[in-house]
Amino acid sequence: MGEMREPVIQVKNLYKVFRVGNERVRALNGVDMTIYKGEFCAIVGTSGSGKSTMLNMLAGLEKPTKGEVIIAGQHLEKMSENQLVKFRREKVGFIFQSFNLLGTMNAIENVALPLTFRGVNKKVREEKAVKMLKLVGLPKHMKHRPNEMSGGQQQRVGVARALVLDPEIIFADEPTGNLDSNTSAEVLKLMRKVVQEQNQTMVMVTHDNHLAGFADRIFHIIDGKIVKVENRSEYKEEEE
Amino acid sequence: MKYFDLLRMSASNLLRRKLRTALTVLGVIIGTASIVVMVSLGLGLRKSSLAQIEEYGGLTTINVNNYSWYNSDSTGDEEPKRIDDAVVAEMAQIPHVEVASPLLDVSVIAKQGAYEGWFRIQGMNQEALQKMDIDIAEGELPPADGNLQLFYGNQVITNFYNARTNEYYWETMEVPDVDLMNEPVFLIFDTDAYYQAGSTDGNGQTILPPKKYIIPTCGMMAGDLETYKENCNSVFADIDALKAMLKKVFKNKVIPGQPATKSGKPYKELYYEEVYIRVDSMDHVKEVQQAIQDMGFNANSNAEWMEQTQSQMGMIQMVLGGIGAVSLFVAAIGIANTMMMSIYERTKEIGIIKVLGCDLGNIRSMFLLEAGFIGFFGGMAGLILSEIISAVINSVVGKASGGYYEQLSYIPLWLILVSLVFAVLVGMVAGFFPALRAMKLSPLAAIRNE
Ligand SMILES: Nc1ncnc2c1ncn2[C@@H]1O[C@H](COP(=O)(O)OP(=O)(O)O)[C@@H](O)[C@H]1O
Ligand SMILES: [Mg+2]
Repeated sequence: MGEMREPVIQVKNLYKVFRVGNERVRALNGVDMTIYKGEFCAIVGTSGSGKSTMLNMLAGLEKPTKGEVIIAGQHLEKMSENQLVKFRREKVGFIFQSFNLLGTMNAIENVALPLTFRGVNKKVREEKAVKMLKLVGLPKHMKHRPNEMSGGQQQRVGVARALVLDPEIIFADEPTGNLDSNTSAEVLKLMRKVVQEQNQTMVMVTHDNHLAGFADRIFHIIDGKIVKVENRSEYKEEEE
Repeated sequence: MKYFDLLRMSASNLLRRKLRTALTVLGVIIGTASIVVMVSLGLGLRKSSLAQIEEYGGLTTINVNNYSWYNSDSTGDEEPKRIDDAVVAEMAQIPHVEVASPLLDVSVIAKQGAYEGWFRIQGMNQEALQKMDIDIAEGELPPADGNLQLFYGNQVITNFYNARTNEYYWETMEVPDVDLMNEPVFLIFDTDAYYQAGSTDGNGQTILPPKKYIIPTCGMMAGDLETYKENCNSVFADIDALKAMLKKVFKNKVIPGQPATKSGKPYKELYYEEVYIRVDSMDHVKEVQQAIQDMGFNANSNAEWMEQTQSQMGMIQMVLGGIGAVSLFVAAIGIANTMMMSIYERTKEIGIIKVLGCDLGNIRSMFLLEAGFIGFFGGMAGLILSEIISAVINSVVGKASGGYYEQLSYIPLWLILVSLVFAVLVGMVAGFFPALRAMKLSPLAAIRNE
């Protein structure tokens, strides 16, 4: 790939230490990484290796113990809670493992929610939500509540919700963790397609080596350290 | 986030848990209603006791008198302090005095047909007569044209008795057949001579019956014989006309009630026993009264009675309000509890909206609004309930007390507004800490998988 790519996410010497009783758990132990605009990256590792902690740090949901997180030119580690919320509202889409749709709202309202927080008026945001729901292949489920949809359908709504604000970066923490393998592949293909079409950057966390294969670049994490970075082509060869 | 969307989200959260919301609102309804009803009872009591004081001589009037002159006359060392026009004018200059009028009091006997009555004519100046808020049923107040005309209070007729049968109104409860307005009334000013007529005086001369004068009536006060109010038993006259009449009747003799020189001759000027003073407001009565006392006169008003009543009513109101406040306080705890529950239930939801970028201030506002809604609707319904309770109390007590308490429970407009604002505030204060808590919840709660 080209050398002139613009870095969107830069992580420098990042540490996160949790205190559990008298013991210290180093969830992140000196991480450096750079992710470029338009990339689809995966962070792969076993359970407890620090993937979620990494992603939370990138989305500004948790403060680092030490180190720098620079996203779109802004230093997250220096921001206040209020600024972080604003940052997420303007730049970030988030896809959850357990979908996390609001049970009292139908699909349209759920997708429109981030726009509500931005102060977009009802008509405009619902039009956008309808468009997004069509894009993720749910034209017939607009008025459905989460408990009236399958897991795969719910996660499509989740994807639509993450993309509706047209964010620069999309974070996904085990987005297919609660789905069967066929559905997982479908949802991932969808995510890949949409992100590529709109030239967005996506960071996905997974413990599944096969699913990581959908990404352009794959970061391997073990015990809070990035041990290997591969391109898709290298990764595929290895898998076979 | 748009304000309307905030309102909508708060409202839909309340509607989601209808039963719990209704129960919490019920608490506020009871709290608000108990405060409003309690305070309204205090206000009603206060109102009716002030009205009572007003019946007994007004809230802003001061009665100045100089009854002491008889005593000082008998010791006879120095000229006693007397009230004349100059003194009255001086009193009129005291700040906050609205009206100052001399009160010339003359006892007379009145006759019409078989009936005879005894009453006092009160001569006052025009300003005082105009400003005494007298309701006129017929005719007009005593005019200033120099001819003596009388204005009768609505209960004056009850002073007449049938001179033939010696029956008084109070014994028979039969209304005397007297028409003060349309039939001539004969007045006797020299009452001593009337009773002594026929006997001989110190010089051995037979006392002649005094002359009777027909004094026209200029007007009557509104109200029937049952209506007791200020001045209902008085007879008013213009003071100058009254003075002229007295001078004409008594010529060179001492007018009864007036002081005499050591040699028993009348003074040139007429002196007054009383002065009628009206003050611009209830709050200044005491200071004016003090100023008059400093001038060396007796001054009486209802100020002390009123003050006592006021402070008593204040106490009663505090106690009643306090009882009401306790129930609103309990309701506030109910609101706080409901909000806390709802925040625990919605931990995950709050986390999600934080991850999705909902402003912290918006989250706080959402919960404050929810609590405020509970306060508002509880307050509204509580006010409606109070009006109903108040109406019931008034009709029951009004009947039981025979109309003495027309409005035992009185809800003025300000009480409605204040209690509504108060209910909303209580809701918001109760919701404040839960709202802060919601604002500070960690967004990670949303991501953790149970
Ligand atoms: N809030 C926390 N308190 C204490 N330890 C934590 C906390 N979050 C994560 N950890 C620890 O940090 C390590 C990494 O966790 P995590 O990032 O969730 O792993 P992964 O997502 O890769 O499974 C684990 O050992 C976990 O026990
Ligand atoms: Mg994880």
